[in-house]
Amino acid sequence: MRPARRRAARLLRWYPRAWRVRYGEEFTELLIADLAERPRSAARTADVIRGGLVARLADAGLSGCPPRSPELARMQVRACLASLACCVAVFLGVGGAIWSQLVIGWQWSAPDTAATTVATFVMTGTVLVLGLVALLAVLPVAWTVASRLARGQTRALAVPSALFLAGLAVMIVGSRHFGNGWPGTGGHPWARTGLVPGGVAAFAWASTLSVSSFWAHPAALAAFPAAELTWMVLSPLALACLVAGAATAVRRAELPPALLRFEGRLGAAACVTMAVFLGGGCAWLAGRTAPPGSPFRPGAIDVAGLAVMALALGVACQAARQGRRGLS
Amino acid sequence: MPRDKALDGFGRYVGPATLILASLADGPKHGYALTKDIESFAGVRVAPGTLYEALARLQTQGLIEPVESHDRRRPYRLTETGAATLQAQLAAQRRVADVGLRRLAQGWGLT
Repeated sequence: MRPARRRAARLLRWYPRAWRVRYGEEFTELLIADLAERPRSAARTADVIRGGLVARLADAGLSGCPPRSPELARMQVRACLASLACCVAVFLGVGGAIWSQLVIGWQWSAPDTAATTVATFVMTGTVLVLGLVALLAVLPVAWTVASRLARGQTRALAVPSALFLAGLAVMIVGSRHFGNGWPGTGGHPWARTGLVPGGVAAFAWASTLSVSSFWAHPAALAAFPAAELTWMVLSPLALACLVAGAATAVRRAELPPALLRFEGRLGAAACVTMAVFLGGGCAWLAGRTAPPGSPFRPGAIDVAGLAVMALALGVACQAARQGRRGLS
Repeated sequence: MPRDKALDGFGRYVGPATLILASLADGPKHGYALTKDIESFAGVRVAPGTLYEALARLQTQGLIEPVESHDRRRPYRLTETGAATLQAQLAAQRRVADVGLRRLAQGWGLT
């Protein structure tokens, strides 16, 4: 391969696969001609990198104008929904860790400030709503995918469906296993003192065990039981498989327009609910008067968590907005 | 979609998109030919990433379409919608230019 072609191929890697399949060959020719005229150009490299990132955002349904063709528009809406699902998963993964910390704390003692009490109520309510929204969103898509698989129409859906189910199974079994032993799950006397059943709190805690400040303290982490450490590594991978499977299935499934509109409305509802949850988290953080050692005392990991959640919410809102534009 | 609204969603790519449409108005061209043509009539060199981002958006909007070619350098041509959009876009730009020139003449004596 000639040096210019090799350099062009390297630059092309900034673009998503679908874009490379469509424009890769002609874009490479243009780059080779440009490289021949201007062998060294930082501006060209920066422009190609920016173009690649913009194309990746468009591929994820986060930028670009809605296509005129109804088929392309539906594809874009599916990409928006897949991105929205990923954002909700990230939000729930991090938010679940914060929420479980609070509701598990409530198993031991009542919150020590009004801000923490209100925040825990708000976050618990929004977790319930988000769970319901997620269920309403997943069920019709799962039904559509399952019926297509049963008819043998869409082989492209088999791998993502298997990935989703495997991730889901690992998360449920692992979280059940590591949640056992916490108050409320093993006949603990304080089982009914919390805001939510102890088993639910422990399940949320175990499923988000990897969201931990212990990663910054390797010496303390080394003292953890091997099984728990393994779960801390395995659970985010399982969650990633679950989300990747769901997102890929949504992108590949030919969902009917009515279902896309329904999912779009659920996406908007999820954004509003996440914003309320984030508000609850911020209220808890703002009222940080809990004494050291209190289970309700926020730490640096919680501040970082809220920042990640704000970012996930911002991206989710952008995906929902793009999806709405594609549906109109 | 109204003609003068067609480039609304292009954001920072409105400029390159207009230049591409103007370049394709006299016949199909591939990426490199577009770059050279735009450089010759507008005096600006559209960088490859910007050119292809604008081309992709124009194609998605149905304003241009690829021409069958056995060459690796695929040419593009203007569609009817693209021609109408270019006309509306240039007319809007002309209105702005006319107002600006008239005010320069009235206020600054520049003709």
